[in-house]
Amino acid sequence: MTPDAEPLLVAEHVSVSFSRKRLFGRGPAVRAVQDVSLRIGRGEAVGIVGESGSGKSTLGRLLLGLIKPASGEVRFDGSALQSLSRRDWRALRQRMQIVFQAPYGSLDPRRRIGSQIGDGLAIHRLAAPGQMPEAVRALLEQVGLDASHADRFPHEFSGGQRQRIGIARALASRPDFLVADEPVSSLDVSIQAQILDLLDRLRRELGLALVLISHDLAVVRHLCDRVVVMYLGRVMEEGPARSVLDAPRHPYTRALVSATPRIGAGGRPARILLPGEPPSPSAPPTGCVFRTRCSFAIAACGEAVPPLTQTNHDHGVACIRLADLP
Amino acid sequence: MRRLHARLALPALLILSLVVIALAVPFLGLPNPVRQDIPNRLTGMAPGAPLGRDEFGRDVFSRLLWGARTSLFVAFTATTIAALAGTLLGMLGGWFRGVAEFLSVRIADVILCFPPILLALLVVTIMGPGVATLILMLSVLYTPGFVRVAYGEVLSTRNQDFVTAMTALGATTPRILALTVLPNIASPLLVQYSLTLGAAIVVESGLSFLGLGVVPPTPSWGLMIRGARATMEQAPLLLLWPCLALTVTILAFNLLCDALRDAFDPKSAASVGTRPRPRLVDRFAPGLFPTRADSGAILSVRGLTVEIGTRRGVIRPVDDVSFTVGAGETLAIVGESGSGKSVTVTSLMGLLPAAARPVAGEAVFEGHDLLRRSPDQLRALRGARLAMIPQDPMSSLNPVHKVGDQVVEAILAHRSIARPAARAEALALFRRVGIADPERRLDAWPHEMSGGMRQRVMIAMAIANRPALLIADEPTTALDVTMQAQILDLLADLRRETGSALIFITHSLGVVAEIADTVMVMYAGQVVEQGPVASVFAAPFHPYTAALLAAVPQDDAAPEPIPGAVPPPHRFPQGCRFAPRCGHAQPPCGEAQPLRHFGNGREVRCARAGDLRLGRAAHDA
Amino acid sequence: MAYLVGRIASSVVLAFAVATIVFLALHLVPGDPAELLLSTGGISPDPAAVAELRERLGLDRPLHVQYLGFLTGLLRGDLGRSLVDDYSVAAEIALRLPRTLELIAAGTIIALAVGVPAGTYAAVHAGGAFDRIMSGVMALLMAVPVFVLGTLLILLLAQTLKLMPAGGFVPFWRDPGQHLLLLSLPALVIGKGLVAIVFRMTRASVLDILPRDHVRTARAKGLAEGRVLRAHVVRNAFGPVLTVLGLHMGSLLGGTVLVEYVFNWPGLSTPLIRAVEGRDYPMVVGIVLTVSGLFLLINLVVDLLYAALDPRVRAG
Repeated sequence: MTPDAEPLLVAEHVSVSFSRKRLFGRGPAVRAVQDVSLRIGRGEAVGIVGESGSGKSTLGRLLLGLIKPASGEVRFDGSALQSLSRRDWRALRQRMQIVFQAPYGSLDPRRRIGSQIGDGLAIHRLAAPGQMPEAVRALLEQVGLDASHADRFPHEFSGGQRQRIGIARALASRPDFLVADEPVSSLDVSIQAQILDLLDRLRRELGLALVLISHDLAVVRHLCDRVVVMYLGRVMEEGPARSVLDAPRHPYTRALVSATPRIGAGGRPARILLPGEPPSPSAPPTGCVFRTRCSFAIAACGEAVPPLTQTNHDHGVACIRLADLP
Repeated sequence: MRRLHARLALPALLILSLVVIALAVPFLGLPNPVRQDIPNRLTGMAPGAPLGRDEFGRDVFSRLLWGARTSLFVAFTATTIAALAGTLLGMLGGWFRGVAEFLSVRIADVILCFPPILLALLVVTIMGPGVATLILMLSVLYTPGFVRVAYGEVLSTRNQDFVTAMTALGATTPRILALTVLPNIASPLLVQYSLTLGAAIVVESGLSFLGLGVVPPTPSWGLMIRGARATMEQAPLLLLWPCLALTVTILAFNLLCDALRDAFDPKSAASVGTRPRPRLVDRFAPGLFPTRADSGAILSVRGLTVEIGTRRGVIRPVDDVSFTVGAGETLAIVGESGSGKSVTVTSLMGLLPAAARPVAGEAVFEGHDLLRRSPDQLRALRGARLAMIPQDPMSSLNPVHKVGDQVVEAILAHRSIARPAARAEALALFRRVGIADPERRLDAWPHEMSGGMRQRVMIAMAIANRPALLIADEPTTALDVTMQAQILDLLADLRRETGSALIFITHSLGVVAEIADTVMVMYAGQVVEQGPVASVFAAPFHPYTAALLAAVPQDDAAPEPIPGAVPPPHRFPQGCRFAPRCGHAQPPCGEAQPLRHFGNGREVRCARAGDLRLGRAAHDA
Repeated sequence: MAYLVGRIASSVVLAFAVATIVFLALHLVPGDPAELLLSTGGISPDPAAVAELRERLGLDRPLHVQYLGFLTGLLRGDLGRSLVDDYSVAAEIALRLPRTLELIAAGTIIALAVGVPAGTYAAVHAGGAFDRIMSGVMALLMAVPVFVLGTLLILLLAQTLKLMPAGGFVPFWRDPGQHLLLLSLPALVIGKGLVAIVFRMTRASVLDILPRDHVRTARAKGLAEGRVLRAHVVRNAFGPVLTVLGLHMGSLLGGTVLVEYVFNWPGLSTPLIRAVEGRDYPMVVGIVLTVSGLFLLINLVVDLLYAALDPRVRAG
């Protein structure tokens, strides 16, 4: 990627909120994602981490264009997703795909897996009907499954195998951008490593740009070049995965890293316990959304949303007290 | 599944023969069902009239079969119209929402506000009775049911990940509806279809019985009952035949509907299935063998084996498990799903499901064998000396009782103190487990609390009667890391303060390292390794322990996958259960391995435990 | 509180929609409404009679005027006059509604008193003898139509065994014993379908709740089994049972028409059937509206009860 060429995917100041429909009017708006900007280069792997309610899954769907942002813009390879014609939008779908959390509803229980994997080929006419079985077999082998299993139904597979099927389905249309939403969080440890291995290998072989949404910092650190840390719909910290996760700057990232249990006793900073609970996303605090649980918060933190300040090497931190932190 | 097929076959066969009769009736050479023969009215069974003649001398047998034709024709026609119209409207409403939703679903809701027969009577008043009126009105009556079912199913299907995947692939709406949505909503629609057929026959016959449905002299079961009622005293049998025909037909449709529902809904099918009968295995008389005195151990489990009767035969999810927990000690049990860790502790609590039972071993807790206590003795221990913290705090509190009351209930179950005193204790407990604003929170409902807060309530409940042993079954798995850190902290605090022992089940090795003194690694129902945490993690003896440690990404070490998956309990290998996935397996591994002692409190179930150098330490060296 | 207001408001909206549909029904069918009401078996009615009926029903006025008149009449409780005998429809309903209500209440009480305990017992001992027998009996009860069961009971108990009268009605204040005796059979027949539904729903929902985590928590606390069942299983199962009960009140209300007819119970069904036969449109509309309103009201009460039982519903 040349420095001035536009990255594969650019999100600029995207926000979206949801509200439940009631009999009269609507319920309080849940601000799922607020003013997030992001750039993802070709072949780059970006991790989005955060706890439940941080808006990381919503952000993933925004990037894919499956949810329309209330404000802001998402551009894929130069074209803005929300202003595309229906036809161009469909054509673009070939290039951006999604992998879901494994066993839950990610596969249609009533269709053979071969036919589900073939959807991408059929919709975008990437294989003639006669070549379809051959193409599906190749995809199955690519993700490490037995090519003869194309005629089976999803319930005949284990969790890890289903995740491989989900990956094969996403790869069928030969995308160059893939969002993986908690791809291993419901799998056993020994199977997790298998799937992570597969994702890593495919990404390198196919030159995929990958967005990995996860609550597991170690997984993101292992697989991703860059990481975005979210809290209550906003970006707290962003930068190269190792520099953010090994030397976190933002108070929230520090607490998150310190709370992650580790096997070896050494190397982990003293645990920072966050007091209380995350506030409701329908009534986030003013200014910095993290200030209500931050031990460094001062009055000024409530006045304005802190901008993402670049420190060094592409590493941004949204904290006005950055200079005063120990 | 086979039972279901049998349940489907009978009603389906019955309905099929009814349909065949209804279609074939004009060709059977039966007497004209409307031809009157007044001189022979109300005669009994006679040649040529096997069921006798009615009040106008018409042949009852012939009228019965022709009546089937009328009933089924009306029911099938009206139901099919309603199904087609309702499904289409419901799918459009569910998929496009907005105006389509308003026009289909809201109007359907209004029609559903009428009691069916009354709406039917309104239509009859306007249009006059007759078969055409019946079909029109039954179609209108039953379309909303199909709209509702199709709409509800589309709504729940459209948010499934596999439908999102189709959208993400750029599939067109008709393609998604036809290929993905329709097959997934087909089964509930089929159930609704069979349900509606039965209901349509009920309404048709009821209206005919009132003289407001099928117009005489057309043969119809409802009309036959109406006629026979007047002559009940002279010819009671005339009443019986149409009643029987009607009831059996409706029963057949209802049974078909039930069987279809069970066939399509795995959850209800499971509840219908036979309850597995566990094999009866002789139990030792209590006290026959004196319990081994294990000084300092609060719980000592020896050779615990649990069997579950399933359709595939008897399985052993827990096989020969032994461990001890010292007073004030924390034991972590780790393993992947299917390792038997949860079944192990559930059997100690006496909370195994009915199909499962411990068949061998002993579990001595404070001098008594838990496996041989009576249900009442166990109940007295549970929640008092022995308490549990569950995995999912969201579902473990009863949603219809206030959280404070649920804690008070735990106190009152074991101590006879006054309710206000128990409430005061609950308040103190809430304060102790770090619930902010405890006075107000006592009266909160479970749904008003976050996951972390509910887990604090569960902990308060567990420590309410100062137990000697706490069993925590994956207590932080459902929580975010920062919440997990809070809960682990609280548990460590409580243990220091009360001195109670803790069994902590987890699949996270990191959590083990944080909280436990000793660790027990389980694989496929067996203990494969146990010992002090620091020593086991620094130098594992069992290849599975080593592989598990290496599979966790940490620092710069890439995670190393373990090939294959944990076998299901009915396919546990004969010898070492890990051998098929083990990189170090050799011929002796084909035989069952005992748990061997290695000194320093370490035990390992591996033929090669002596000669392997494993773990990260080995890699670094 | 917001839930209460919202639920009541939606009932009012539905009631309004129901009235509108009833009003439109006559006009939705193609053809002249007055002619439609007077025609039998395809014979064209006498034009003079058509004109007279048109005037009596106000069909000669513009549609929106008719609609407004209809709605204001409803609000004042004026349901018009019978075409046959010129009685006030509202007065006729006021006289007979209490008897129908009594029948419905008795049927519902029987259904709950039998269905809930039997369903709970069957679920706790699922697969046992009681469960299998009851499930069979309930399937049969579901299948047999009310008028069939009623007629057969009369044949057996009144006609053959001469144990009780075939039907009829005696006011309670005149002879309480006879009143209850006459009430018992129709109430049983009315309740039979509902018993089956309550039984099945109770059984299903207890089976659904028994393996839940919170029940395990209750056992882990060391509660006695009886208390676990009462406070943590049946209490939770009751909400779904109530909802299903409310939804099936529709067929129960329809069933009363048939049962009253079979047992000569002088409730709403006598004037209703007479009115349908005689094409007495205002009377039919009045009764249909009353019973539909009753159905809406029952469901409103059921939902409010459910909310009282389950705090999650109140939260919305």
